[in-house]
Amino acid sequence: MKLYEFEGADLLEKYEIPVPKRQIVTSFKDKVVIPCPLVIKAQILSGDRKKAGGILFADKKSDLYKTIKSLLGKIISKEKVEKVLVEEKIEKVAEYYTSFSFSGTARAPVLSLSTKGGSGINDAFIYPIDMIVGLEPFFIRQALSDSGFLSKDIDSLSGIILNLWKLFTEEKLVLAEINPLLKTSTGAFFACDAKLDYGKRRAVENMDGDIAIIASGGGASLINIDALLLAGGHPANYAEYSGNPKAELVEKITKEVLLKPGIKACWVVGGTASFTDIYETMKGFTEGLKKVTPKPNFPFVIRRDVPRAKEAQKLLADFAEKEDYRFFIYGSETPMAETAKMVVKLAYQKN
Amino acid sequence: MSILIDQKTKVLIQGITGVEGSRACKEMILYGTKVLAGVRPGAGGEFVEGVPVYDTVKDALKHHPEINTSLIIIPAKNVKDAALEAIFAGIPLINILTEYVPPIDSSVIMAWAEKYKTRIVGCSSIGIISPSKSKVGSIGSAEIRYMFKKGPIGIISKSGGMTAELAAVLGKHGLGQSTVVGIGADTICGSDFADLLQLFEKDRETKATVIFGEVGGVSEELVAEYVKSKKIKKPIVALIGGKFTHILPSGTVLGHAGAIVSHGKGGYDSKVMALQKSGVVLAKNPEEIPLLLKKILKIKQKR
Repeated sequence: MKLYEFEGADLLEKYEIPVPKRQIVTSFKDKVVIPCPLVIKAQILSGDRKKAGGILFADKKSDLYKTIKSLLGKIISKEKVEKVLVEEKIEKVAEYYTSFSFSGTARAPVLSLSTKGGSGINDAFIYPIDMIVGLEPFFIRQALSDSGFLSKDIDSLSGIILNLWKLFTEEKLVLAEINPLLKTSTGAFFACDAKLDYGKRRAVENMDGDIAIIASGGGASLINIDALLLAGGHPANYAEYSGNPKAELVEKITKEVLLKPGIKACWVVGGTASFTDIYETMKGFTEGLKKVTPKPNFPFVIRRDVPRAKEAQKLLADFAEKEDYRFFIYGSETPMAETAKMVVKLAYQKN
Repeated sequence: MSILIDQKTKVLIQGITGVEGSRACKEMILYGTKVLAGVRPGAGGEFVEGVPVYDTVKDALKHHPEINTSLIIIPAKNVKDAALEAIFAGIPLINILTEYVPPIDSSVIMAWAEKYKTRIVGCSSIGIISPSKSKVGSIGSAEIRYMFKKGPIGIISKSGGMTAELAAVLGKHGLGQSTVVGIGADTICGSDFADLLQLFEKDRETKATVIFGEVGGVSEELVAEYVKSKKIKKPIVALIGGKFTHILPSGTVLGHAGAIVSHGKGGYDSKVMALQKSGVVLAKNPEEIPLLLKKILKIKQKR
């Protein structure tokens, strides 16, 4: 889960990182209290916002409301602009980049730095942090020096970066990035945009197809959607649960996935489970299904096996008969990829 | 032989009194694993499945100095503390099953583990099984125990769920396993593919390995480098998940915490291309794996 820029700015301020004066605007009738010149920024999550026309400028009041109006409600990089951030324009002499993230290779958090920030940044110096010591200011100063920062900037920058580290660790983020970090002619710094990411996932990711998917297992779900595409199917979504979820979670996912319009078939698929209670999860599935209106008349292909799979299969068969659903139920005797072909055939066959 | 665990494995369970911990304990004993002790602060003196519980790791080691492996199944917020306790007590192998451990905590664990030469498998691991010898964790539990059979194939999987699926598919073709390891798919991960492939390399029982990887991180790319530089010579069959992810925005998090969509390095194409180039055989689906393995092993026997 990424934060919007305006949410990020509030968090930066909380951790005493200097940010420009700003104001959030949701209607062109909102009164702007910050004097011009101003930067007007669409609040969307996509990168490349500047290139896509999501960042505009207003030098005088007469341009301001026109500019705000042109952004609000506009679709930029597939996202609708519901809010714009109006921010004092900082006169810069330099644009820097700094971030904290995790490196799987270093098995540690890393500090990234560049004296050439701004949009289109692709190269930064990367410094893995020794977590036996933790992050001490001397390490930041050395990294700044090694990355070519001016000596007179090192002290104030290391203060900002240490605060960013506090934010990164205390908020348990997977990414805390300031880009650009602007320097003014007086030597002051302002974080003019930030990407802060909690690394959390959404229960359901939307895709544009017509076969609803309720998958189990992080790894199995990936190869199964691959198999569905290979079989000629179009996934409507990515949704996955794993471990030993409560029936309620499966119920919630089922509802969300099946309420999408235009679904032609539903595929409930997972590998041979080690400790997922199949009965419990399939009960959640049927509970969710009961709550979907209008009642789906498309086919369901279900492939799950072991712990309590026999009981689960009986539950499903009884439910289908009683409530009149088209269920096609399989266990581990049928490869997952085979059931991909089946669901594709059932979804697109002409009656 | 096998890697990581065998009949000589003597296990401590940190979190033995919890729901998942006590279940794993029961399943492990049922499989024949020697579970010597458990830890749960405040429950010292109790027993779970006949296994004595101690307040601290050091207390457990005092009474059972032969313990050489710790299994950690406790709430995520306590994992760093428990892992450090085991590392500082000198236990050489720690298998962490807990999911959603904050990566900053995992980083601290890995830093100390490296310093103390402790091997960590996990976090988010389903466990380790050396069929008919020993198992640690939730892998191969209950009814699926019989799916893991002794044999010449090593399996390393980022996915816990896929371990049983892969063992079952191999079993249908009479291919048993030396050791099956769920390494988890966190961004910060203890043992990765390359680490364990090097252990399989030295294991006489293992003739070939199967790796199950997925988008996110560069540990599959690292395997390709090891194969290219001949640090790993035994044949590898790889199955990589997430070909479809090019249609999702970069940065989308999928099933596992470390399964992060990337359109460059760490993405599906990057992994598959690197592996193929290095000589690793790619399988299109699980069912193809035993066929490829048989082909590879037969060719090897002819030479």
